[in-house]
Amino acid sequence: MKSISTEPKALLTISGLTFAYEGAVGQNQRQTISDLCLNVHEAEILCILGASGCGKSTLLNLIAGLLKPNRGAVEFPQKAGKGRGIGYIFQQDALLPWRTVEANLMLASELTAVNNKMQMLSRIGQYLNVFHLKPDILKKYPNQLSGGMRQRVSIMQSLMFDPQLFLLDEPFSALDFYTKLSLENEFYQLVKEQRKGAILVTHDIEEAVAMADRVILMSKDGLFTKEYEIEYDDPDRTPENARGTAKFAELYRVIWSELKAVIEA
Amino acid sequence: MNSALKNFSIKWNEILLMLLPLVVFLVGWHFATFDDPGRKYIFSTPIEVGQALVRLTVSGELERNVMVTVFEAMCGFLLGTTIGALIGLSLWYSRIVAKVAQPYITALATVPIFALAPIVIVWFGIGLLSKIMLAFMSTVAVAIVQSYQGAMSVEERYMRLMKVLGADRAQTFRIVVVPSALIWVINAMKLNIGLALLGAFIGEFISAEEGLGYMIVKASGLYDMATVLAGVFVLVIVALASTALVGALEKRLLRWKVQ
Repeated sequence: MKSISTEPKALLTISGLTFAYEGAVGQNQRQTISDLCLNVHEAEILCILGASGCGKSTLLNLIAGLLKPNRGAVEFPQKAGKGRGIGYIFQQDALLPWRTVEANLMLASELTAVNNKMQMLSRIGQYLNVFHLKPDILKKYPNQLSGGMRQRVSIMQSLMFDPQLFLLDEPFSALDFYTKLSLENEFYQLVKEQRKGAILVTHDIEEAVAMADRVILMSKDGLFTKEYEIEYDDPDRTPENARGTAKFAELYRVIWSELKAVIEA
Repeated sequence: MNSALKNFSIKWNEILLMLLPLVVFLVGWHFATFDDPGRKYIFSTPIEVGQALVRLTVSGELERNVMVTVFEAMCGFLLGTTIGALIGLSLWYSRIVAKVAQPYITALATVPIFALAPIVIVWFGIGLLSKIMLAFMSTVAVAIVQSYQGAMSVEERYMRLMKVLGADRAQTFRIVVVPSALIWVINAMKLNIGLALLGAFIGEFISAEEGLGYMIVKASGLYDMATVLAGVFVLVIVALASTALVGALEKRLLRWKVQ
């Protein structure tokens, strides 16, 4: 399966993307990513499901520019100026432990030479509200925070750079169930309200079906094998209320059955 | 309040426990030497050492010599650790330069300072400068090696974050590499405190007119074991106090780690 979507106003366009780790291509060996095409649009959450080692994280690293593709193009049609306009959230946060939360959030000011501290602090205040965090957290160090708080601060840190597209590599997998659900809801609403795009890589089918607008299955050969549009009848859909619907159960069953076939193939 | 009192008493218990081996040693030393003139002559006694300390303090000799040794060691320590840390951290910028520099740094680190001391004294004279240089040479290699290791051991996730956020090499160095390597620099400081004292002491041992090393050599020539041991005792106190200072600095600079 090659072309996934051709809708306009894409935030990300990938065409013919091919990548193999050095020394990985040869006799009896396979490419990690094979001729992938993909678009991600505004206010869309795309979820990629697949077995371990199928190249999901490699794909995110290629999009982020951490790896260089052997072939193909990664483009950001709506992005003007320098950089890729990406926020990358990892399973294990990368908050700098020697900086307070505030100093971590002010990284954007240091790296982008935006010196309007009042404006930055005002944005921090807004995001604290979005993620239900108290202002006293700003003076704390990352190792004084819980896993959920750290992940919220990581997302806030990315938001301070005003990214158009989020790359999420199993960001909620190390969190307890309650924190995970809260963070899923907060992140979902943020993407929809601020018209951001997101690619979520996960092993968790429930998470994918609850959060995503589209789910793509990835095979062990680094190919996209199947795509599902995830639509619920509720116009005020959130990941939390989607989980209780019959549609959710049905989608879960269908995707799990297909994913099992992909993994066992 | 009760909790504070409890903490206070726990601390006192710890201090008493720490002092116990010293007390056992002093008592054993006293009973092994106090009634045997032969042993007394070779090993002195704790009481004689105490008396020597009082005599040296009253005459002002101890203070003068301590100040000289501490000054030499601290100058060498600050120069060696600062220059070494700057070189070690800067090597992060270029793997090729780091590779070329490696054998030279290893050579500098492995040459015994005792072997260099006579040459350094010929070059820089018998005054303070030669002792400062010896303390510097004793410490600089450790600071280079530790700082370079620290700079190269930055966690991959922080480097990845900086790359994703679009930081250039200078920003990555300032925001991630230096703070991350600070723990290694502080380890170098802990090691260098002793090495700087050793460097200054060796210089004084070979040729000097003042300092604890000079005082010990002179007393040793006169078979005045009480003064020799009093000098060693003061040297240990200076080393412990300096290490405590570095410990306080570590707490201040790495407060995020102990939260």
